[in-house]
Amino acid sequence: MNPETTIKLALALPLATAATTVFLGERQRNLRESFTLFGAVALFLVIAMLAPAVTSGARPAATLLEMIPGLAIAFEVEPLGMLFAMVASGLWIVTTCYSIGYMRAHHENHQTRFFVCFAVAIFAAVGAAMAANMFTLFVFYEVLTLSTYPLVTHHGTEAARKGGRTYLGILLFTSVAFLLLAVVWTWTIAGTLDFRPGGILAGKADNTVLCALLGLYVFGTGKAALMPFHRWLPAAMVAPTPVSALLHAVAVVKVGVFTVMKVAVYIFGIDLLRTTGISVWLMYVAGATILLASLVALTKDNLKARLAYSTISQLSYIVLGAMLANSWGVIGGSMHIAMHAVGKITLFFCAGAIYVTAHKTEISDMRGIGRTMPLTTFAFLLGSLSVIGLPPFGGSWSKWYLALGAAEAYQWPLVAVLMISSLLNIAYLIPIVVRGFFFAPVDGPEKPKIKEAPMLCVVPLCVTAVGGLALFFFAGRIYELLTPIAQLSGN
Amino acid sequence: MKQHSILRVVAKLLIPFILLFALYVQFHGDYGPGGGFQAGVIFAAGIVLYGLVFGLQAARNVAPPIVMERLIALGVLIYAGTGVAAMFCGGNFLDYSALEYSFLQGSLLERHLPHGQHLGILLVELGVGITVAAVMILIFFSFAGRERSR
Amino acid sequence: MEHHLPVLLIITPLVAAPLCVLVRQRLAVFGLSLTVCWATFAMAIMLLVRVLDSGEITYQLGGWSAPWGIEYRIDTLSAFVMLFVSGIGAIVLTFAPHSIAREIREDQHYLFFAEYLLCLTGLLGIAITGDLFNLFVFLEISSLSAYALISLGAREGVQQTRRALIAAFHYLVMGTIGATFILIGIGLLYMMTGTLNMADMAERLRAEVQINRKLMDVNETRTVLVAFAFLSVGISLKMALFPLHMWLPNAYTYAPSVVTAFLAATATKVSVYVLLRLIFTIVGASFAFEKLPLDTELMVLSLIGIVVASTTAIFQTNIKRMLAYSSVAQIGYIALGISFASLDGLTGAIVHLFNHALIKGGLFLAMGCLVLRLGSAELDDLRGIGRRMPWTMFAWVVGGLGLIGVPVTAGFISKWYLISAALERGWWPVALLVLLSSLLALVYVWRVVEAAYFQDSPEQHAEVTEAPAAMLIPTYVLIGATVFFGLWTSLSAGVAQQAAQLLLEVTP
Repeated sequence: MNPETTIKLALALPLATAATTVFLGERQRNLRESFTLFGAVALFLVIAMLAPAVTSGARPAATLLEMIPGLAIAFEVEPLGMLFAMVASGLWIVTTCYSIGYMRAHHENHQTRFFVCFAVAIFAAVGAAMAANMFTLFVFYEVLTLSTYPLVTHHGTEAARKGGRTYLGILLFTSVAFLLLAVVWTWTIAGTLDFRPGGILAGKADNTVLCALLGLYVFGTGKAALMPFHRWLPAAMVAPTPVSALLHAVAVVKVGVFTVMKVAVYIFGIDLLRTTGISVWLMYVAGATILLASLVALTKDNLKARLAYSTISQLSYIVLGAMLANSWGVIGGSMHIAMHAVGKITLFFCAGAIYVTAHKTEISDMRGIGRTMPLTTFAFLLGSLSVIGLPPFGGSWSKWYLALGAAEAYQWPLVAVLMISSLLNIAYLIPIVVRGFFFAPVDGPEKPKIKEAPMLCVVPLCVTAVGGLALFFFAGRIYELLTPIAQLSGN
Repeated sequence: MKQHSILRVVAKLLIPFILLFALYVQFHGDYGPGGGFQAGVIFAAGIVLYGLVFGLQAARNVAPPIVMERLIALGVLIYAGTGVAAMFCGGNFLDYSALEYSFLQGSLLERHLPHGQHLGILLVELGVGITVAAVMILIFFSFAGRERSR
Repeated sequence: MEHHLPVLLIITPLVAAPLCVLVRQRLAVFGLSLTVCWATFAMAIMLLVRVLDSGEITYQLGGWSAPWGIEYRIDTLSAFVMLFVSGIGAIVLTFAPHSIAREIREDQHYLFFAEYLLCLTGLLGIAITGDLFNLFVFLEISSLSAYALISLGAREGVQQTRRALIAAFHYLVMGTIGATFILIGIGLLYMMTGTLNMADMAERLRAEVQINRKLMDVNETRTVLVAFAFLSVGISLKMALFPLHMWLPNAYTYAPSVVTAFLAATATKVSVYVLLRLIFTIVGASFAFEKLPLDTELMVLSLIGIVVASTTAIFQTNIKRMLAYSSVAQIGYIALGISFASLDGLTGAIVHLFNHALIKGGLFLAMGCLVLRLGSAELDDLRGIGRRMPWTMFAWVVGGLGLIGVPVTAGFISKWYLISAALERGWWPVALLVLLSSLLALVYVWRVVEAAYFQDSPEQHAEVTEAPAAMLIPTYVLIGATVFFGLWTSLSAGVAQQAAQLLLEVTP
């Protein structure tokens, strides 16, 4: 199968899954679920087929249609996009299993709508991953926002409505007022929106314009949750946990930081950013977000809220990596996309499992949870260690490269920020595990019986927990995949 | 106003002449001031006078609103129809020069029956006259009818 | 037959209208009107294909050649406008039966169809003619039938529908003032140039003339300046440019839903066409934009209009009125595009004529479905309707997304061109204002979304069911078109660009 067909197939699969799900509906639940799983596995395999070509240096491409004369919806798979696409599609499989378990155990309504919107969201994420120009990326970015709105407001309650408002309000505000402006402005200045190695803006405008443009891009990518446009993330926690897990630990937020990374590497070019120094102020915004978000996480008793702020903090690692504009920073940031995804999804899966089984959402209620749900709590520990960035977990590699990148750029305060934030991560994650295993339960007997979450929930979270461990050893492969991007920086 | 015998008698005498004058104006539009619009209004004025003197119901009997409505449509159709006929005869829309007919050519009547531009104008003005008369009468009926219901 | 296509496009609905009055029988009249509308659409498609292939088409009425006779002149812009006007005419009429059964008195249905056809004739005639006075005649035909169509919303015995009569009357008064201004402008131009043919007039305006022993171009005389002023004000009133838009909200709210759908999608757009002809074909872009500050004036008024109208829309409780104010804002976008006087700006304006016609037409058709089942267009009555009428609301939401300008909808394409045009000139505050207005649109669209999906139905609407398929299908045709033309734009943006190029090249 030639690359063009593979790309088109990769796009068609989630859409076809969505369509089949609509037709199968609630009456054919099991068939519906099977189709979704089948679609997810097929998607992962199709995307994996592109990997050998991309690693060997080829850039599979496809063009769909010309939406505006001169601007086409086009796709070109390069290392960063390849990584993101594999992460998203791989985790879709795991999350589908988890969702089936969760939704059924919880007897949720509107399950068909859930699975349909999920599939469309994955379609948007994959489309964004493979985008060949900023225009395509923007289109899929917006499709993602819209398709996830029904997921966020799934419960249809007043709280869901309010959360949905914040979600949509911030994301659409930033994407329309800042990002679209930036995209059209780039089009006007550069005459093209293609992602090119070395960027398209070199020599096209003076530094003030470029600085403003970069600011518009970075703040316009609301999904990267850079402060002060981060409030949508905690607001979106009203969604059911599978939604929070995939979309906000993996797909939605990762599209955000992916966009920032692509803009830095392929629109501006790492060299341009480094020589003009226009990204320095954004490094500090990212650094501030890292610290502030971690501090807020410490104060949150609601587990999902704490994890949300943790995500905001971790996302800024990736933004920082992009803004550092050197090869270590870019590699570290890109790698963190994968590492954080696997780690965070484990944590969210555990949170959902605890909610479905023990009906607990507040951390103070989760004392002794390790005795009723040992597997889950152990998985939570593994996930936490990955997020904190300790060896032998994958997160350690990405943090290491980021620290190297900060050092190379002589940004010593930012190195300190990275250190402090690791400590803060420990402070807000480990106590949960410690309390879970070593403290007596809040209610119920001292030595309760083991009652784990349903199988379909426990297996996925164990898989991702182990995945965090496995990524430590796979980091080398990822590094190889990403080197071409770093080489673009010329150092 | 039926009681006023002078008005009644004079109206009875005048109305036919008014209507006749309307016809005169209609067909002599190409020789002097006149044409469809003016003729239609004069015709309607005759009916309005009848209505004023003999009562709205009497006028309604002479010129039933349903018939008036149909006449409005008919007038437009005559106008448009002339244009379409011109198209069928090979010219553009409303190209009256195409309105030539081959029969009666050479006969005595040829000189007296209109053709070409003359025929075209006569027909369209007829359409206009019919529509305008009917519209004015209907407008009078609407306003006069409202007056009564209060 | 091919040769007569331009005039057939006009006389088919024109002849069908009185036939409707004569025939009177509801079913026959509907059948006749429907056939005629679709036939007209087919003819418009054929004309567009011919124009794109071989360039401008002319047709002489009565066999008299221009400039003595009235000639029909069709270029890319005219054909494009006629395409979507006749298309919307056909689709809305297909939607009509159930809706007018609910909203218009039964004994007036044949009049509805007759006036609909007349309005269609008038609108098509404006786009097709090359003679300025003929344009005025068609403008009056379409306006008068529009006033009558709006007044059909009044039903005897139903007290609140009386407002349709008042709305129609207000529209009549303001519309007549606008038409009178236009007529004065035409009269003055005729006086200065001695011709009514648009192309001929353009030439003669550039001729030299001696006034008070000074040699000047005709278009430098004060008379022509005044004529242009009258014409532009009159046209602005017809196209509901802020602040001459006051007739629009009431007219759209109280008219029958089908009438609102048709007028909202076509009447104001055709008035914009008149403005384009005036600026680019008759007086010339250099006259309008360099000698006179029309570009600044249009830009300022349109920007204010966009912001004020969008904000007003947010506070409306009647959804039709909200969409009416939204229309005023969207007309603002079109006027803004014209004011840029660049290829991108003009393309954006012309493509938005098309896109907005589709979006608003679809939205008002969805409103027609809602009014059919709920009997009202109030936000309060719409609570929880998302569950009872899912297809209708989904269509509405997609239309709303088109208003906001989300990618994948047609609205995005227009916005892109407008923002490009603004940034090309370096006017980033204008670009920012356009973007912020999208966010205002988001607010008022989302009010409806939240009411429809997040709240419970009021008791009296508990038994409401989905709208009939005969109404849903035309609605989805239009809404589907907004998505289709959001992805595949070679017809909409491609033709618009060609039309814009032609206007800018040929303009004196």
